[in-house]
Amino acid sequence: MIRRAVLIVLGLVWLGPTYLLLVNAARPAESYDPSRAWAPAGDFALLDNVARAVEGADLGGSLASTALYAVVSPLLGVLIGALAGYTIVVLRLRHGFWWFLLIFGGTVFPSQMLLVPLFVSYSDAGLYDTRLGLILVYTAINVPLGAFVLRNFYQGVAFSIFEAARMDGASTWRIFWRIYLPMSASALTAVFILEFTFIWNDLVFGLTLSQTADVRPVMTAIAGLMTDVYAGTPVPVGLAAGLVVSLPTVVLFLATQRLFARGLSLGSVQ
Amino acid sequence: MTRSPVLGRFRHGYVAPAAILVAVLLYAPFVWTAYLSLTRYDGLEPPAWVGLDNFVKLLGDPALLTSVRNTLIWVAGTMVLPVGLGLLVAVLSYDLKGGVWYRVPFMLPYALSGAGLAMVWSPVLSHDGIANLLLGVDTAFLQEAPQNTLAMLLVWTWQQLGVNTLLFVVGLQSIPKEPIEAARLDGASGWRLFRHVIWPLMRPLTAVVVGLALVASLKTFDIVWVLTQGGPGRNSETLAVTMYKETFVASKYGYGSAVAVLLTVVTGLASYLYLRRQVR
Repeated sequence: MIRRAVLIVLGLVWLGPTYLLLVNAARPAESYDPSRAWAPAGDFALLDNVARAVEGADLGGSLASTALYAVVSPLLGVLIGALAGYTIVVLRLRHGFWWFLLIFGGTVFPSQMLLVPLFVSYSDAGLYDTRLGLILVYTAINVPLGAFVLRNFYQGVAFSIFEAARMDGASTWRIFWRIYLPMSASALTAVFILEFTFIWNDLVFGLTLSQTADVRPVMTAIAGLMTDVYAGTPVPVGLAAGLVVSLPTVVLFLATQRLFARGLSLGSVQ
Repeated sequence: MTRSPVLGRFRHGYVAPAAILVAVLLYAPFVWTAYLSLTRYDGLEPPAWVGLDNFVKLLGDPALLTSVRNTLIWVAGTMVLPVGLGLLVAVLSYDLKGGVWYRVPFMLPYALSGAGLAMVWSPVLSHDGIANLLLGVDTAFLQEAPQNTLAMLLVWTWQQLGVNTLLFVVGLQSIPKEPIEAARLDGASGWRLFRHVIWPLMRPLTAVVVGLALVASLKTFDIVWVLTQGGPGRNSETLAVTMYKETFVASKYGYGSAVAVLLTVVTGLASYLYLRRQVR
């Protein structure tokens, strides 16, 4: 009984801010009053607030760019990583384990170790404040995880599948593309979702490598909204912005929940 | 078996894209930053070699001391609050009937991401914000140190508790039932059952959760950057924020790189010591 009581009390404490967030994000922007923040919203103005946030803060271009980064980079990253994993495990690349260590080792540095050189060389190479530049760095960051999970996955696949396809005269590329990739769809999806979320939530690379509203990733744009304009932005609009930028990762996760769980277990068990 | 023609000849070509991307965009910058930490560099003039000067200066820099203190608060606080409290919620709820419903309130905040989280808390914690009005006090939640770090830690806890709970619940539900049943038959229950039977069984999972939280908390950046930018002044900076500000606000690229190296060494050392303890 005590257990339930503790859980309920803690749960109520946790629900408080959630309620505040939702009710005030739905409140008509001009009627916000911090001393009456607990009161029900009255008119439901969430969608108006979202529209104002997207327009007023110029989030539209930023959202579109972020969607591009968060889809293209994980796709490339997971494909390139999977190809490396396939080559190391199935094609039995010589010194494969060292290649794997080299690629996987890319995940261990804090991003702070990358910022200065990336900023300086991007400026020199004309990649600063370009979508291509951000896609490149996000892709590189995604490769190690893809290589890691898919290497594990392919280790659990019977080699006879490869041999049989080879006997039938398929090229190694074709075998990768037509047999191994489709076979690992759930693992690929799991990695894709993790990487999508990582990129969607990225703040520091966007902060360092981009400037203009259309190129800037959305979290960076939001951070800018906080420091420059939030004082002038009505609180409900700011809250609606916080909700709207969080929405895509939630939707993606809920939509792929089962695949995700399956992919993770496939990736880790073997 | 390593060199059979059946394996194809283009193998290095397949591994090349991954290796090149990682080498050019991750390893090369890493080495470059390590070099820059030994120079004075403003991004315009070429870097000038100064040896260990930056690190010597770091040791005597009061802003760095503050930053280290705050980072330690983040690490210790993360262990106690999101991780510790997460474990508590998991243990209280994992074998309850309808336990999943008790956990819903903790999962909801996890939907908010990075800067969005900070965004929604700003009107609560600001000077004339909801928290002050609600509690009938006049606290400068985000102004004075170290309470601004503690306030942000609470925000972080609000968001992270759910996912830690979830991981612990998965762990608790997957430990074998037999030893627990046996201990119950022997009369163990409550705290003793947890301490002597359940806790040792879930140690591998705890190790992972704590390890991840340890590394992540050492690198705390986003929430601080969005809520206070490390201020006012520099009193809520963490190491990652200090690195960013020294580099891109003060244009001291060499000094900023030294902070990055320090952060890397601290993170590496902490992970190493932690892993060694776990493996033993």
